[in-house]
Amino acid sequence: MKIEGTQEVRAPRERVFQALLDPEVLQRCIPGCEKLEQTGDHAYAATLRAGVGSIKGVFTGQIKLEELQPPSHYRIVIDGKGQPGFLKGTGTLDLEEKDGQTMVSYAGDAQIGGTIAGVGQRMIQGAARMMVAQFFAAIEVEANHDPDEEPPKHGFVRTALRVTKRALQGSNAADQSAAEDVEGERKK
Amino acid sequence: MIPAQFDYVTPATLNEALALLAEHQDDAKILAGGHSLIPAMKLRLAMPQMLIDIGRIKDLAYINEEGSQLRIGAMTTHYQIESSARLKDLCPILPQAASTIGDVQVRNKGTIGGSLAHADPAADWPAVMLALQADIVVVGSSGERLIKADDFFVDMLTTALEPGEILREVRINIPTGNFGQAYAKAAQPASGFAVVGVAAHLTRDANGNCESASIGVTGVASKAYRATGVECALVGTTLDDAAIASAASHAADGVDLNGDLYASADYRRHLIQVYVRRAIAAAQQ
Repeated sequence: MKIEGTQEVRAPRERVFQALLDPEVLQRCIPGCEKLEQTGDHAYAATLRAGVGSIKGVFTGQIKLEELQPPSHYRIVIDGKGQPGFLKGTGTLDLEEKDGQTMVSYAGDAQIGGTIAGVGQRMIQGAARMMVAQFFAAIEVEANHDPDEEPPKHGFVRTALRVTKRALQGSNAADQSAAEDVEGERKK
Repeated sequence: MIPAQFDYVTPATLNEALALLAEHQDDAKILAGGHSLIPAMKLRLAMPQMLIDIGRIKDLAYINEEGSQLRIGAMTTHYQIESSARLKDLCPILPQAASTIGDVQVRNKGTIGGSLAHADPAADWPAVMLALQADIVVVGSSGERLIKADDFFVDMLTTALEPGEILREVRINIPTGNFGQAYAKAAQPASGFAVVGVAAHLTRDANGNCESASIGVTGVASKAYRATGVECALVGTTLDDAAIASAASHAADGVDLNGDLYASADYRRHLIQVYVRRAIAAAQQ
């Protein structure tokens, strides 16, 4: 499966690249990441409790970062397996500066096998998109965060729900702006 | 094909079910008809520690008329909707769409509330609820609230239901005036799920022109959506073939389409237009 896209992150490029390299930040930003331990130079062992809705699985695996060219490019290699199946993939991230913001282009190719690929085929792409969007929304918060302060918390599904809730409770005018917020959340 | 171990409880009332859900939170799942959750559990893609079966609660399966509204209980099965003579008169898209869901076994056990709460991106009901602009009634420890169908589907398998809330009822305004509605679907041959599903609800004014159009699309993106571009393009037209074809070209505007082994995103983009045209044509008959 190919995954590619461009994501606008409203933060300066250096900060975004820094965030994308910091294992502590990555652990907080990768949806469901329970453990990310450094095992070598830009090599990590990860435990991921990933999934959407009631469909969840625990994956363990290795993540390696290669071709590091700060602050514009790196390549990521993932090899993981878990009860629902396995996942192998490589991807590249390219960061471009645009009006003080950062455009992140990502392109990857993933092989997914096991139960999840057999019965969940029709949902994999959507689930991957959802997690990518959540990841970059969290990275944006991190890149804009003062490093001396306590690290931010990311409640991924909660964020989407809060926005919806606001839309439900507000007046018509508030509805409109909240609807735009939802739109904004998605674009992030 | 054997699920992980879980506890099973059968509350007799909705309040009991809510209390159990509040107590066990994320470890518990509500079991309705079980035709999405149980297969996922058998494959161990879902491993809840507790199932709260709301199937024993009385008065959750009904189709009632209240004033100008239809009220359908969460535990009403697809078959009960499919076979309701009253619905065939009042809101024919409901029995028609129900008849396209899965197979007889699924329709006999699966429920409208379970399907909506699960929010499978290829389920049929979400498109129909969007086209009918239904209200979804959910109940939690702090009482009841109404969620518009437009706000209910947040993302793939994710709804506006808060943890601890249970979907109780669906409310639909009984269509009035000169209206037409239809559900058109390209079904995945193995699963019966929608590769593309389009629900259309149209009304005409006294001159025969399209007065309002409401189009729900499922199966193509991470959640069902309203095809607002199509709706806007239809209103005011005479609903002739040219107008429908031109409106249908907006069916996927602004939507990120998903692809899978069976149907690529481009194929789906084409199919949506075809099925939007078919749904609108069928709605006029």
